[in-house]
Amino acid sequence: MRSQSLHLSDMHLSDQEMLLAADGELSTRRAARAHAHLAACWGCRARMAEIEGTIADFVRAQRQAFDLQLPPIAGPRALLKAKLADLASDRESNSWRSLLHFTSTTGVAVFLCTGVLIAAVVGGIFVHHSTRRGENSIVAFERGTLPDRSLTPGVTRRVTIIDVCSMAHEEVVGEVSTSLRQDVFHEYGITDTPAEGYEVDYLIAPGLGGVEDIRNLWPEPSTSHIWNAQVKDTLEERLHEMVCAGKIDVSTAQRDIATDWIAAYKKYFHTDRPLGVHSRLESLDLPRFGGRNSAPREAE
Amino acid sequence: MPPTDSINELPFPNAADAVLSEKPSGIEREVMELFDQFRDPLLRYALSFGIPVHDAEEVIQEVFLSLFRHLQRRRSQKNLRGWLFRVAHNLALKQLYANQRSHAKTTSDWAIAEGQFDPSPDPEEQLSSAQRCHRLLAVVDALPEADQGCLRLRAEGLRYREIAAVLGMSLGAVSISLTRSLARLIRADGR
Repeated sequence: MRSQSLHLSDMHLSDQEMLLAADGELSTRRAARAHAHLAACWGCRARMAEIEGTIADFVRAQRQAFDLQLPPIAGPRALLKAKLADLASDRESNSWRSLLHFTSTTGVAVFLCTGVLIAAVVGGIFVHHSTRRGENSIVAFERGTLPDRSLTPGVTRRVTIIDVCSMAHEEVVGEVSTSLRQDVFHEYGITDTPAEGYEVDYLIAPGLGGVEDIRNLWPEPSTSHIWNAQVKDTLEERLHEMVCAGKIDVSTAQRDIATDWIAAYKKYFHTDRPLGVHSRLESLDLPRFGGRNSAPREAE
Repeated sequence: MPPTDSINELPFPNAADAVLSEKPSGIEREVMELFDQFRDPLLRYALSFGIPVHDAEEVIQEVFLSLFRHLQRRRSQKNLRGWLFRVAHNLALKQLYANQRSHAKTTSDWAIAEGQFDPSPDPEEQLSSAQRCHRLLAVVDALPEADQGCLRLRAEGLRYREIAAVLGMSLGAVSISLTRSLARLIRADGR
């Protein structure tokens, strides 16, 4: 037995055995024998070094050939995230459809009767409130969701796609300085309402080339139920991702968001309402104003 | 049975028995984590087929959307790394054939690599290093497709059984292919 063991460990290794040993693909017993032989045999060790050296050279060459071609991950990552959100929302709506897909006639009847009852009760309550003061106040809240185009046409700076796509995430949406916020409130004649009730928002976000200029800012009511600042932030991020992924150019994104950001949201998210926003007012037909279709001005 | 190591562990904790959250957000999060981990290796692999970068990016997006649907349907989560490379392989091939129908194959690896080597301040060393890389990549480009696939997948860290699954080969065939290819590379390098 001992002589057989000595005999086996004295046998030179083939290239295949050396590669299997180096790659950790041998069984424990065969790996031990291979390593024992390598420890004893300079010839096999030299061949092993050739193999390892060639592997290292190949990996280096492969990386050098491709790594400089790899675009930064941020754009594709954001795009994938948006696509996954779309897929997930499709799944939610499909699950509701499947819930409604009863096979039993009785089930359908029971479900419909229950639905009618709930609709009657909820509808009665809603009509009662909305006819008194709800609708007016709701419309008033929603009115500020689009800026006054004469005051806020949108202003941009010259940007390249590299400028835009190399911005950190927090720069894409952007914060507004306190002094400029006051100017914006003053311009819009907001003096008697608490400033906390508004978010001074960019019409064209910095991530799309918008600048911190009073002509690019407006006070967006934070009390808006449907089309609020958070929804607009989502649109800004989506447009930024699409620009960086080469899906649309910067000027298109600027024009669409400046012309009517709600219409742009519907266009780019393929939806009539904000995704993920549970609004009680989905069916409300919001009035819009300032529908002028002018392109944003560039900062002098 | 080959031993396992940390590289061979699947990307999920306890991956073989992992149970994902039923919430889409849980699956989305897992997919994004895998994207962060595997996007670059998969993109390099897709590019090695000779397709343009924007096509390769599209391929990778589709790979991860397929992964999302795969996990949503509660399909097997065993060896997801192998699964990702297999889907990327199939989609990249499909894209390559589509491109070949419309126009000629894009620049090969070594031509892409030209002018990109700048590891050394010494111009002679720089030239020599670039030439060696060109020579190696030219040899790889001349290998049969299966041999190229084995080498490139192994360079991205896949184990033999994962390579076998991606390329539809036996474990033995993977081992022989890698040995043969490395022998050619050693000869080309004049070692």
